Amino acid sequence: MTTLALFEPGLYHLVGVSIALLAAGVAVILTKRNAVGILMGVELILNAAGINFVAFNNYVWDNAMDGQMFTLFIIVLAAAEAAVALAIFLNFYNNFDTINVDQADELQG
Amino acid sequence: MHTLITLAQLTAVEADQETVRKLLVWATLLPLVSSIMVLFLGTRYLKKQAGTFACVVMGISFACAILAAFKFTSGNMESFTWKIPWIPIYMGKDGASWLYLGLFCDQLTVALMAMVTGISLLVHIYSVGYMEGDKRYERFFCYLSAFTFSMLGIVTANGLMQLFVFWELVGLTSYLLIGFWFEKKGPQLACKKAFVMNRVGDTGFLIGFGILFVQLGGKVLVPAADGSMFDAIAAELGGKAAIMEHPPMWLTVAGICLFFGAIGKSAQFPLHTWLPDAMEGPTPVSSIVHSATMVAAGVYLTARIFPILTPAAHLFVCIIGLITLVMASMMAMVMTDIKRVLAYSTLSQLGYMILGVGSGAYIFALFHLITHAFFKCCLFQCSGSVINMAHHQQDMRYYGGLAKKMPLTALAYGICTLTISGIGIGSFSIFSGFYSKDGIILGTYNYAHELGGLGSLFFWGPVIVAYITPFYMARSFALTFLGKPRDQHLYDHVKEAPKTMVVPQLILALCAIISVPWLLPWEQMIEVTRETLVNKNVTWIQGIPTHAEHHHIALPLLFGLAGALMLAVGIWMYKDGFGKAEYLLKKVPGLKLLYTWALNKFYFDHLYDVFFVKMTKCFAAICNFIDKWGFDGLVNVAGHWTKGLAWFTGAFDNKVVDGLVNGAANSARAGGQALRTTQPGRIRVYVSLLFVGLVIALMFAMTLVTG
Repeated sequence: MTTLALFEPGLYHLVGVSIALLAAGVAVILTKRNAVGILMGVELILNAAGINFVAFNNYVWDNAMDGQMFTLFIIVLAAAEAAVALAIFLNFYNNFDTINVDQADELQG
Repeated sequence: MHTLITLAQLTAVEADQETVRKLLVWATLLPLVSSIMVLFLGTRYLKKQAGTFACVVMGISFACAILAAFKFTSGNMESFTWKIPWIPIYMGKDGASWLYLGLFCDQLTVALMAMVTGISLLVHIYSVGYMEGDKRYERFFCYLSAFTFSMLGIVTANGLMQLFVFWELVGLTSYLLIGFWFEKKGPQLACKKAFVMNRVGDTGFLIGFGILFVQLGGKVLVPAADGSMFDAIAAELGGKAAIMEHPPMWLTVAGICLFFGAIGKSAQFPLHTWLPDAMEGPTPVSSIVHSATMVAAGVYLTARIFPILTPAAHLFVCIIGLITLVMASMMAMVMTDIKRVLAYSTLSQLGYMILGVGSGAYIFALFHLITHAFFKCCLFQCSGSVINMAHHQQDMRYYGGLAKKMPLTALAYGICTLTISGIGIGSFSIFSGFYSKDGIILGTYNYAHELGGLGSLFFWGPVIVAYITPFYMARSFALTFLGKPRDQHLYDHVKEAPKTMVVPQLILALCAIISVPWLLPWEQMIEVTRETLVNKNVTWIQGIPTHAEHHHIALPLLFGLAGALMLAVGIWMYKDGFGKAEYLLKKVPGLKLLYTWALNKFYFDHLYDVFFVKMTKCFAAICNFIDKWGFDGLVNVAGHWTKGLAWFTGAFDNKVVDGLVNGAANSARAGGQALRTTQPGRIRVYVSLLFVGLVIALMFAMTLVTG
């Protein structure tokens, strides 16, 4: 592999993007106190997984479409998840007058 | 034609019997009816009329008894029996048989019925005056009527079982009456003593009953068809003559045992101590107990068991009678309590009666029972009047000269003193006591003559006591009614007793004079007894004297005059108080000792106290000791063992079993405590842990893949 080849878009780059997205998502979840922010982090993680599916499908099993199909499902799932999560947050806000997740520590043992 | 007449006569006889029977049953049951009515209606409806009511019912009862007596004697009726089934019992293969309620009627029954109801009536009337103002006035008449009923039951009973029931009823009602003032310590103890002493005697009675039952079988429970129950038993064994000749051993024992019942009731020698103590009861009770009812029951029983007494049993009865007779008369000489003098006098007279029955002159014994009942009842009522007027001072040392204040009472007392002393001239006396007592003494003369040797004591004992009796009676009369008052304060307050008390006294005194020799067919009864016994070859009873015979004997002359002499001596000695007696005590050597001995009742109470009470207490203490250190020790050791074991199992339970359970719980709690820190409830922590775990899992997976 040449140095140039290193800059050529390939599996590693895609996986790298995916890792970056995952790390960003995790970082957002860990740092954000706002529930909507956390939801955004979750979206990032889901999208990281989607990129992975597409990338591996393209480079490992080139003539199959399974990865793309999974990704479509993930997108739909993310939408559904966002809808459910937003509904939860509304309830959360109704109960606690805030959407700061640190206030919601009632499961504390 | 001849048969027809006999039949007609027979029915006439039966009709007469029917009448007499009904009268006797009414006479017996009326006091019970009165008792029950006073018990239930007394405090609410009758109130102060309870006494009058009881007197009226008693009067009707007395009328019935008197009518029956006249009907029986005037009709020259034979004795008869009557019975109704009472309680079904089962014996042997014969199937059901019955305990009967029976009635036996002969001369003795009607005479005693008349005497008991008559005296009871007078005592009832007397009680109206004596008990006035008592807070349990009604209750007293209830008890008194029940007491009379019990005694009438004994007199009419035919059948041992029935006799025993009434026997015990007399014991119970006497207990209630003696302890009538139960708030005070004295009556409490006295009624208990009377009851316990009587139970001792009754045990003997039951044993005798049992022996008869074992030897003769169930027929002793069934009233005899002819004659009294003991007549029937004697007939079973071949009659009195056969019993006298070949006495079975068991019959001797049975006779003595049955006589023990009489010893208890009639207060004879070993069991005599209850009678003087029974003075704690109200005086009407004393007067009825000492005359018509309780003590008479014992003599009556002895007379009834006469047919089955063996020679040995006769001797036993005589010995008991003699001891009581002599002992009690000595005690009567030294007592200063007026009621106690009379009580010991009663004991002594009862000794006469028992001795009379034992020596075969039992008709005279019963004669004496009846004459004695009148004059002793009168004496007690007089003493009661004095005591009541003297603010319950019973000690004669504080009396003196009371004749001026209560002349009628003194008169009655004086007449009875003469009667009990048996004063008479030659073979004639107006005092009934003269006839009855002399009859007994003559009977004992025959018996003593038969026995010979030491047996002559049975004659000399009664004779000496016949001299002592006038002396102590004169003493009590003189100390109470003659001389100068020794307590001026008491003397000033005394006045004649109320009419309800004086009238019965005078009636009784009158009865003591005229009384029975002329009113009841004693000659006839004596003749009948004489005939039956002589025919049966009972040799030493042949000598039972009729009046006609004993009129010719020199003894009555001796007694009549000696009695008068002793009476005079007694009055002379005690007319002015105790001065002369004390002088005599100082001068005559040994007399002081005898005096102290008699004054302490021959130390019988002390003796019984040491032998029975103390011994029982000692035995109880030993039992207590054994119980405490023996049985309790065992129990305590077992207890300690159990306690130790219980402590051990308790500790095991607490430490080991509970320890396991608690340990499990504690470790679970500690584990939970440790783990709860991992559940802070913050999303960031969960998420970071999630990712850390993910990273670790991935690294692990990669090591697996790369190998």
